Amino acid sequence: MNKQDFLAELERALRGLPQTDIEDRLTFYSEMIDDRIEEGLSEEAAVADIGEVSEIAAQIISDTPLAKIAKERFKQKQTLKTWEIILLAVGSPIWLSLIIALVAVILSVYISLWAVIISLWAVFASVIACSAASVFGGIIIAITNKVPSGIALIGAGIFCGGLSVFIFYGCKIATKGILILTKKLAVWIKNCFIKKEVA
Amino acid sequence: MDVQLKRGLLDVCVLSAIKSEDSYGYKIIKDMKPYIELSESTLYTILKRLETANMLTVRTAEHGGRLRKYYHITDAGIKRIEEFKTEWQEILSIYQFVTKEGEADE
Repeated sequence: MNKQDFLAELERALRGLPQTDIEDRLTFYSEMIDDRIEEGLSEEAAVADIGEVSEIAAQIISDTPLAKIAKERFKQKQTLKTWEIILLAVGSPIWLSLIIALVAVILSVYISLWAVIISLWAVFASVIACSAASVFGGIIIAITNKVPSGIALIGAGIFCGGLSVFIFYGCKIATKGILILTKKLAVWIKNCFIKKEVA
Repeated sequence: MDVQLKRGLLDVCVLSAIKSEDSYGYKIIKDMKPYIELSESTLYTILKRLETANMLTVRTAEHGGRLRKYYHITDAGIKRIEEFKTEWQEILSIYQFVTKEGEADE
């Protein structure tokens, strides 16, 4: 890929960001490629050294605040005709509720992901509580009442304690996975804003 | 490494790269390479952040028939490096304390 193709592709991938931001980025990468060529690399090698356009664009988009992207979208639509304003006002019960619904859906996905994390840790906490209670209760029963039942209860408590170690690591892995998932979701939402602009 | 910590470290690294003389994007990356790998997009974000914080200024100059951006450190930028050195002394003494604790445990 030559420099011009690279810059054109990057410009396409960044569509939806503010125009000044895009130009600034393109100037920056253009200079980076030129400096590599000056050092003795061929144009193709210099472009390859910079990296994949899709990866660079994804990085740039994730670095750009969502508010900026949303603002840019709003700005581009500022020149509304009178009939469009009337239509917007008349249609507000529909689109307003649609937007609220969309926000609610995104919010609920986040909440449910967090609910999964909380419930996993709740299981962990309850198993530990169960373990402690069984051991403690078992000792009391063994002393005051029936020794075999007491010992059985203590055994169950120790088993729960061991189980909790496994659950702890399971919870840790699951939490990490879900956190990565929420991050991916954020990138996906940003992409939705940008993709719509392209269409 | 902790994201916040890494961000602060990278800021100071870039400031140090332009401290002795004005530098440009590719040279900054090359100068830092033996110590820390930095991608173009990361450098861009850092430069923007430092410019907004008035720790560096940008000027465009002609170079070999094309334009190149040169970054110049400001007094605030130099002050940031000095602050970092003091902060790091504190962190070093904490590190000594932490590793000493570790030995006592064994």
